[in-house]
Order: sequence, then C-alpha cells, then structure tokens
Amino acid sequence: MIEKGKISASQMSVMMYHAIIATGILFIPKTVFDAAQQDIWISPLWAFPLGLLSVYIAYKLHKLYPDDTIMQYSEHILGVFFGKVIGFILLLLLYTSISVMVWQYGEFVVSEFLPHTPKYVVIGMMILLCAFAVHGGLEVIGRLSEMVFPVFFLLFLVIVVLLLPDIEIKRMLPVMENGIMPSVKGSLALYTWFAQFGIIYFFFPYLTNREKGMKWGGISVLAVTITLVLTNIIVILVFGRVTGNFTAPLMSAARYISIAEFLSHLEAIVMAIWIAGTFIKICVFYYALVLGTAQWFNLSNYRSLVLPTGFLIGVFAIQAFLNSAEASEHFHEVSHGLTDTLVYGLIIPMFLLSIAYIRKMKIFKQKGREKK
Amino acid sequence: MFNRKKFKFNRNKERQIDEEVLKPLYSNLEKNTEVLNFLYEDCSDVIFRSFVIADQIKAQLVYIKGMSNIEEIDSNVLTPLMQQTDQKSVNPRLLIEQRVSVAEITKIESFDTCVEQLSVGNPILLLDGDQQGYALGLAKWEKRAIEEPSGELVVRGPREGFTESVEVNTSLLRRKIKSPQLKMKTLKVGSYTQTTIMITYIQDLSDETLIEEITQRIKRIDIDGILESGYIEELIQDNSYSPFPQVLVTERPDTAVSNLLEGRVVIVVDGTPFVLIAPTTFYSLFQSGEDYYHHFIISTATRWLRFLFLFISLLLPSLYVAVITYHQEMVPTTLLLTMVDSREAIPFPALVEALLMEITFEGLREAGLRLPKQVGAAVSIVGALVIGQAAVAAGLVSDPMVMVVALTGIASFTIPRYNIAIPFRLLRFPIMLLAGTFGLLGIMIGLLAIIIHLSTLRSFGVPYLSPMAPMKRRDLKDTLIRAPLWKLNTRPHLTGEYNKYRQSSNQKPFPEKESGEE
Repeated sequence: MIEKGKISASQMSVMMYHAIIATGILFIPKTVFDAAQQDIWISPLWAFPLGLLSVYIAYKLHKLYPDDTIMQYSEHILGVFFGKVIGFILLLLLYTSISVMVWQYGEFVVSEFLPHTPKYVVIGMMILLCAFAVHGGLEVIGRLSEMVFPVFFLLFLVIVVLLLPDIEIKRMLPVMENGIMPSVKGSLALYTWFAQFGIIYFFFPYLTNREKGMKWGGISVLAVTITLVLTNIIVILVFGRVTGNFTAPLMSAARYISIAEFLSHLEAIVMAIWIAGTFIKICVFYYALVLGTAQWFNLSNYRSLVLPTGFLIGVFAIQAFLNSAEASEHFHEVSHGLTDTLVYGLIIPMFLLSIAYIRKMKIFKQKGREKK
Repeated sequence: MFNRKKFKFNRNKERQIDEEVLKPLYSNLEKNTEVLNFLYEDCSDVIFRSFVIADQIKAQLVYIKGMSNIEEIDSNVLTPLMQQTDQKSVNPRLLIEQRVSVAEITKIESFDTCVEQLSVGNPILLLDGDQQGYALGLAKWEKRAIEEPSGELVVRGPREGFTESVEVNTSLLRRKIKSPQLKMKTLKVGSYTQTTIMITYIQDLSDETLIEEITQRIKRIDIDGILESGYIEELIQDNSYSPFPQVLVTERPDTAVSNLLEGRVVIVVDGTPFVLIAPTTFYSLFQSGEDYYHHFIISTATRWLRFLFLFISLLLPSLYVAVITYHQEMVPTTLLLTMVDSREAIPFPALVEALLMEITFEGLREAGLRLPKQVGAAVSIVGALVIGQAAVAAGLVSDPMVMVVALTGIASFTIPRYNIAIPFRLLRFPIMLLAGTFGLLGIMIGLLAIIIHLSTLRSFGVPYLSPMAPMKRRDLKDTLIRAPLWKLNTRPHLTGEYNKYRQSSNQKPFPEKESGEE
C-alpha cells in the first residue's frame, strides 16, 4: 500500500471533527442565519442525517473494497477509463474545495488580525506548515489532531462559559416562529460542511480497527452537530437579530468577553487556537488530495507530490476570489445550488455504491442462470 | 581501514601486534615474556616481575602499576608461592590451587585474553612449561565514592548516584533488584578504548525484539573510542537530526530501576555516571523520580507546574513581543499604560530588545558553567548588574523585558532533565522571530511546527508523544497526572509483547472494619 502508517478509528474521528468544525464554527452561524433566523440552532440537527449518510456510504463502499480508497475502487466499479474520469473529477473538486478553505483562512487572518501582512505570506506559511505535516504521513496528522483537540475543545467551552453573562434567553424566542421550514432551509447551507464527511473514504482503509470505523465516524458527526448546536445557541443568545451582520459571530462574541477588567479581548487567543484547528482541517484535505493524486497516477510514493500540490493549492487559493464580496456572492449562489462538496462527498460515492450494487446483483443473476 | 592508511609508518608494527595477539600462549616462559614485552614495548607502567616458585619453577608476574592491589599480590601470591617445599618435584597447577589465596582466578590461553585481563587491572601469572596462564582478580584502582548526583537533586529520595565505574553502577542496580531476572549483556565498543557497555533489562518485562534492536544498534557502532554515553546516544538514536533527546539520561539508580520495572532497557557505559534508558517518550522526560515518593496530589501539581513553566520558557518572550507589537488590545489598559511608559525611551523595537536580552542571558549562563569557581562569583555580580540595572538605567531595555528574561531563565530550570530543557531554550529564538513578524499567528505556526516534528519522532519504535498521541487511555494515568500508586496497576505499553500487570489491584488502603462499633 502507498501509505504504510495506520491510525486508530478514534484518531480518524478527531481528524474529521477538525476537518468539519474548524471553519464551520466561525462561518456557519452567519450562513445559516440568513435562512433560519433565530432557529439557527435547530438547523444542525437537520443536517446531522446527511453527515451520517456520507459516512455510511463511504463505510459501505469500504466494506466492499476494504483495502482500497475511492480512487482505486472507482476503477474496480466503473472500469479503468471511467474510474479515472470519476477520480479526476473528484480530485479537481477537492482542489477547488481546499483552495477555497485556504483562501477563507487567508482572508480571515488578513482582514481581522494582520491587515498589513500580504496575503500570500499568510497563505504560503500555512501551506508550508501543512506540507511538513503531510510529508510526515497519515500517522502524524492523526497524532497532531489528537494533540490539538483537547486544547481546541477546552477553549471552545471556556469561551461559551465566559459568554454566559452576556446571554439573554428571549433573543432566541419565539422558537420555530414560522414552523420548521426556516431551520430546514438553513440546514441546506450546512450540507456544504456535512457533506465533507465524505472524504472519510480516504481514511477507512488505513484504520487499525476497521470494524469500529462506522461507530467512530458516527461519533464524529454527532460531536460536530453538538458543537454546532452549542455554537449557534450561544451566538443567537448573545447577538439575536444582528447575528447576520458578522462574518464570524463567535469571534466577534469573544471580543465581548470582559471579566474583571482583566480577561478581555480574547479574540487573539481564539484566533490562535482556531488556526490550530484550521491547520488540521487543511492537513486532512491536503493529505487526501495528495494521496488521491498519487493513486490516480499509480505512484508508489506520494511524498514527492506534497510540495507541488501545495504550490498549486497556494496559487489557486490566492486566485480564488478577488475579495470577500465576490466570495460571498459566490457562496450565495453555490449554497442554493449544487455545492461542490456535496458532489464529491455524497453524490459520487452514492453513484459508485449504486453501480457496485447493480453489478453485484447482475453477477448473482448470472450465477443463478448458470445454476438453472 | 581509514586509520591505518593514515598512519602508514605504524602499519607494520600494528599488523604484527594484531597477529601476535591472536596466538595462543606458548609453553616456554621466555617466549611468552618476549611476546608480552613486544606488545607492551615502551609501556613503562607495565611491570614484569620474574620469580621462582618453590625454588624450582620459573614464573613471571605481569601487572599494570596503579591498577592492581600490590599488598595483596605480595601477601597472597608472591609470599606463599616463593616458600620452599619439601617435595622433590612440584606440580605447579596444584601448587597454585593450594597456595594462592585469591578469590577469582581466570585461566588464560591466548594473548588477547591476557591483554584484556591486564587492561582491567588483573595481574597475570605465567609459569614455565605451562601453556596456561592465570589472571588473578586483584584489580584495584582509584574510583570516586558514591555521591549524590549533582545534576538531579531531590528533596526526598535516595542520595546515591552512579559513578564512573561500570561495576559499581551495575552493583547499584543489582542491589535494588534482587531477582535473577535482572539480566546484563556485555558488549565492548571502541577499537582502542574497548569500552564496556552493559545492556541491562528485566527478563519477561522487556520486549525481546526491543533488546535485540538495541543490541544490534550498539554492535553496528565502529568507532575508535567511546568516552561518554553521549557517543552511544548519538549513534543509536532514531532521528539524528532532531534536537530532542530520544533516550533518557540519568545519574540516579532509582530512576534507572523504575524504568527497568516498566520494561525499558538501561544501557550502562563504563567511564561515565550517565546511563541511557531506551525507549523514552516526551512526557517521561518531564518526570522526576521524586514524583513517586511524594503524595500523588502534590506530584500532579508539580507536573502541571513543570508544563506551565515549559510553556513559559518556550513562549514568554515571544508572547511579550507579539502582544507589544501586534495585539496591544489584549493587555488591560492600566497595565498597557505602565508598559508603554517604561518602553517610551527604548530605542529598539520589542523584538530586538528581546533578542538582545535573551542572547546576553544565554551567554552569561554558558559562561557561568565554564568559568573557574574563583571567578564565578564575580561574573554573576557583573551579570546581574548588566542584565538588570545597568541595561535599564542606560535606556537600552525596559523593565518588563528584564522581568520576562529572568522568568524565562528560571522557567527552564524547573524541567527536571537538562537535555530536554536545551531544545526548548534553542527553539525560543526562532519563535521569537516569528512572533516579531507575524504576532500570535507566528507563535502558533512555530508551535505547530514543533508539534509536527514531535509527532514524527519515534524512540525505538515508540511514538514520542505517546500516550497522548497516539492516545492510549490506560497509560494516561502517569503523564499529565500522577495517579496514586494503588491505581498504577499496569505497565505502560511500549512495543510488542509486554507484561501488563505490575501489581494486584484493589490495593487502596482502608481501615480494618471493626465489628464492635455501633
């Protein structure tokens, strides 16, 4: 196998948690608020089944081809040519997806914290760092996410607790003012994030305890949902109707914290920890991309691809959008249509799974005919 | 080999020595003496003493001055052997058995064992007409007494430390572990020094493959001399470019023994009080033997304190620079005003100020180590003045900066092991540069880079950051916290097979139930 390292199912679960939540925790409240208003905290619950479905489909495919990633079994299922085509589409989508993530990171850091630093330096540094980790392999990324997780989660809880003095329950009332529809509509935007759980198909073959893959994948989805519900509740309780005015409401909320005149302006610390989370997120996707590319080319080693891929991501990320206005317009269009993450996270695997089942049934029928 | 090509003029002699050494002893005493004389040509410390046993057999006693116990040679070897006997013809072998009152006598058949025995200090007895020589276990040379190790001081715990002698060191281990399961394999490394290296482990606790791996790595070493265990450490570690120590170094027998009991392997090197312990993990480098002698709550608190100060020693100057340069809003207003006030007259940006002071401090610290004791005091006074008052008075650095530097300096001393404190001292500087250029983002990037590097490290197959990453829930009881002893039922899992349980469970002490009450 191209990757010799192995990770445990719980490591995979933590990796996926970071991969979804790192950007989600900042941008989801605003994105969902447009549709769901004060019901944003219900939306993650509607998106939860979709995340679970992505993991389940990936797991089913993994059961059929236990030692392969999607790049390999797409060829088994569709034949070499169509398999390669699907693989190519998938890689392209991953490329754009990561580039958007890196752009988001760069834009956010530059606009909120280092306004005088050129964006390509901020982005380049992060990509170099990720390249260093990806070069270390899957095991290293797994360990990194385990190291970062407790800090990330603890800080999140601390922020939530410190925001408690500023909350007001009546801001989230009335619950379900216009029925459940607004929150369901809000969850549409969440599909972008939850569909990303699909890339778990790159990690299933490298688990030490494969039988626990589904369980830990599910736990990961659940943890993401709970974190998002908590985030959205606290954001709506602090900001109420003005949530939509902030790009990153949780970060802005952290600015609000002021306890005993000493604990104030925590947003720099929040940003530092958030960078650690984003770093894991980019690493996970970056690794999936590098591994996928290597498998698409049938290479025996993926490490030589790390730097060139990183360079491409960097270039794409800098060129992705001119400014945040263009980006938000893009997201607005995309989240109401078919999102790219939905394609590679859910639709392609679903398509592959159905073809695989049809072929299997055919084989059974043939066998049945032969018997007769 | 390289050496021999370089010193061509010595080549013939060396080759001859190599040939002679491999030969067995002759039965002719004169010939034997001649060969030994040839081998030890120009070695004025090697003494040849010829005498006659019981007026009949010629004999030769060879020893190295200062390495053998001369009084014992006189009273237990020479005196009894030179006594006259009534018998007409004596059997020399029988005579030696009868008269030489020395506990340890090894029989020698070739010149290389002869040389080996001589160089550890055992006198050699050669007889005329006998192809066998005798090495008498009368080695005695000056060694340091067992003292308290100055590098690893404890408040509570044994006060003994390893010494330079490998025999003393292994005896210290054996005195603590009485079980015959304690095994010691001896290897000789160094073509000239022939340094003794003992691989010590407890059978059934250490993984066989681990012992095999360590033995192989040590056997692979081909070097002219081993002067300290640092040589071995550098030649057997997994990642030789990493600044982080991948082998635990200790001077304390109790630390070595506790590691042996956890299934690790202790490598004792002759000539140094520092023994190596492999494999090791990042967290075990922050543990002190004392952690297990104090109450577990206190030990846990101490461990947290160490980690806190680890972060301080790594990050404090960088945080200061980042906050002052980029994130002033993080500081409460009144404090900010004080800081700005003291920085007003300083001509440098915070980064330059920090670098200046940190480098000065590191220089002073290094100088303090090397300076002769007589001058040491003077330097510390000058250092205190330069770092503290004069620099502030001259308007070169601000008061808060002095505090930061002092705190950083103190912080790195709270780490119980010197060799893990050094990389963090070093890494402080690149992180400072990152902080000066990117603020908190830079610090985070630097920190993440360090964690990535630590995640890639392994020590003899054991991930460096385990049991935190990869997570081993059962082994967490002895990393960030120190669980009570009655909870430490299992050994940490290192590699492969291991003996899981170290004690029986349910050992929490409780008062005897008294039925008479109530």
